[in-house]
Amino acid sequence: MFFALTEDQQEFGSAVRTYLAERFDLDAVRAYFEAPATNDAGNLDGLWKAAGEQGWLAVTVPEEHDGLGLGLVEAQVIARALGAGVAPGPWRGTVLAAEAIRLAGSAEQQARWLPRLATGEAVGALGYSRSVEYGQTADVVVTPEGLLTGFTATPVGSYDRTTRLARVEGGSTEALPGDASSLEARATVLVAADLVGIAREALTRTVDYDKEREQFGVPVGSFQAIKHALADLHVGITMAEHAALYAAHAVDAGLDDADLAVSVAKAKASDVALASTAAMIQYHGGIGYTWEHEAHFFYKRAKRLAGQYGTADAHRERIAALTL
Amino acid sequence: MDLTFTAAEEEFRSELRAWLSAHIPAEWRRPGFWESLSDEESFGLRRDWERDKALAGFAGIQWPTEYGGRGGTPGMKAIYDVEMVLADAPRTVNPLGLTFLAPTVMAIGTDAQRKEIIGPMLRNEVIWCQGFSEPGAGSDLAALTTRGVRDGDDFVVNGQKVWTTNAVHGDKIFTLVRTTPGSQKHRGISMLLIDMHQPGVDARPLKQMSGASEFGEVFFDDARVPATDVLGAVDEGWRTAMLLLSFERGASGMSQYTEFRRQYDEIAAVAKKLGRDRDPVIRGKLARVLTELECLRLHAMHILTQTEQGRDLGFEASMTKLQWSEASQDLWEVFDDVLGEDVTLEELDDLDLTPFNAQAMWSRSVTIWGGSSQVQRNVTAERVLGLPR
Ligand SMILES: Cc1cc2nc3c(=O)[nH]c(=O)nc-3n(C[C@H](O)[C@H](O)[C@H](O)COP(=O)(O)OP(=O)(O)OC[C@H]3O[C@@H](n4cnc5c(N)ncnc54)[C@H](O)[C@@H]3O)c2cc1C
Repeated sequence: MFFALTEDQQEFGSAVRTYLAERFDLDAVRAYFEAPATNDAGNLDGLWKAAGEQGWLAVTVPEEHDGLGLGLVEAQVIARALGAGVAPGPWRGTVLAAEAIRLAGSAEQQARWLPRLATGEAVGALGYSRSVEYGQTADVVVTPEGLLTGFTATPVGSYDRTTRLARVEGGSTEALPGDASSLEARATVLVAADLVGIAREALTRTVDYDKEREQFGVPVGSFQAIKHALADLHVGITMAEHAALYAAHAVDAGLDDADLAVSVAKAKASDVALASTAAMIQYHGGIGYTWEHEAHFFYKRAKRLAGQYGTADAHRERIAALTL
Repeated sequence: MDLTFTAAEEEFRSELRAWLSAHIPAEWRRPGFWESLSDEESFGLRRDWERDKALAGFAGIQWPTEYGGRGGTPGMKAIYDVEMVLADAPRTVNPLGLTFLAPTVMAIGTDAQRKEIIGPMLRNEVIWCQGFSEPGAGSDLAALTTRGVRDGDDFVVNGQKVWTTNAVHGDKIFTLVRTTPGSQKHRGISMLLIDMHQPGVDARPLKQMSGASEFGEVFFDDARVPATDVLGAVDEGWRTAMLLLSFERGASGMSQYTEFRRQYDEIAAVAKKLGRDRDPVIRGKLARVLTELECLRLHAMHILTQTEQGRDLGFEASMTKLQWSEASQDLWEVFDDVLGEDVTLEELDDLDLTPFNAQAMWSRSVTIWGGSSQVQRNVTAERVLGLPR
């Protein structure tokens, strides 16, 4: 029995964390967040270059197409780290577009797209939702019908400015001959992992603050009302971490309970991310409600992602359908 | 990622399955069978059955053969826990001994203690009680006042323990006793292994809210215990107790998942029968509980992995306890919602609800014993998250 991340997998996650801490910290996130709406894709050149060079984009692309040939388990490690850093950028869409083409594309389509998606030379997006993440910078959008190119993208305003959205229209679609039916599950797992990363980071930051902040002559973190809330979050987030990891493995390995695992992961991750980011605001007090503080980056991103690929309630209905 | 067991472990599973299927009478699997027996009858049947199982080699799975164990792996223990549930095997009559005392004796007992304690426990020749809680010392265990005074080669013990599981069936009790007069808090406590069959020990049943009397109280009135029957060092009993309690940790998570998942399926079946499975509120609540149960299963796999890797889980045990106990309590609260206006009935149409009701009552206890949920949250906040005391 080995249900854990290997050292290599953990290393992958820490490399992303380290890069973000050193090169794209919360000040950079803030600059991106506050960039005027006219600058709709923001400036992500450095971050995007790193994503290409460090293999974050190549993670699931087969080696024959210049990828790392790893799986969804490794991809969710990266997703978690990006969530923890509330990092912007079309990473998820590009990885998922590559997944669609890897799973269902013809040899020609694979040769045409995969090497470019793996390096970041081409940007991908998943067009399963009304508002497409980074539709404005995407070269190719994967829709249920196939590969969409030559479209027009109209920016969509959203208060989660850690991610840019667009409505995508027109263009031409090229069918994918194979079976991409697991794509939505893969997208759901990566979103769940991002949420888990957000939730953990929000908790860690709140714990750190409440250890220091004093009221009534003691650190507020010594009050039991706060302790118990944070302890419950720690338990819940740990469970969500297990669930995201398992769901990634279950989808990749085609386990019998993959559908259940994905819904468990998304329902749990959405719940804990919303709870943890709301707690981040509450247990920072007034400062947590300010624009200056970073709590709202986490909270807003959690809100948006909790709604993507099925809300917690929608996944609970799927869980009920699978088990009743 | 490797979610499989080894060939040797799977071989063990087949052997165990075969033995269990041959040795559990069909009648015992009938819903409501165990509830229909008196405490006395149930205890006797289970005691004998468990002894036969031990004699067949299916006990002490992880303990060395020289002490009567099977010398198996952590994986085998996990398999054992799950298979026992799947086979509807009777509940153990020696839970405190098996879960807490045996691993502690293996860790810090003398060789003589290992030989004397483990084998007879596995064969149920000695039923063990845990004498920790007192009327004035529950969550605050260090407030205990039961005292032992050295008299020649013995300690003479006076005081009272309460909520003692299996008090009236017990042969021996591992007891926290203040052996240094006037000592405070964690100091001056010893863990004494006291024979309950003596005039100075009086065990009385206490009736629980479920109606059963699984626990009781134990009075010590000049009870005698040889000074050699100390587990760990004299006056170091707190340390022994902390080690002992650490063995509660997630080892059993896999079997708890299996048990609760079965309960979930049974509750789902009742919901269907009553047409309540179409109610979106009920569906949402059941799914919420199932999510927590699935997380428990994954957490158990995580714990097993860490154990196999030889890692110390430390205070993570508190998380395991919170996850399983709160999830199982939530599950039984959903059962109430499923029954709606018929909640509290003992029979509905032709359905006997008493086994369900017994579980629903029991679920109120799981967040109290073994460290209450509040205490586990304190531990998690202070020891894991590092929040100030
Ligand atoms: C079914 C069952 C079987 C048991 N079997 C055994 C046994 O075999 N041997 C044995 O020794 N004991 C046994 N116990 C006793 C059990 O360990 C105690 O009940 C438990 O430790 C709680 O102690 P208490 O009952 O004195 O409650 P108290 O400690 O008085 O707690 C009352 C309430 O206060 C809360 N509380 C206490 N301290 C704090 C704190 N610091 N912060 C926040 N909240 C707090 C508790 O969570 C609880 O809700 C059993 C109990 C039950 C229910």
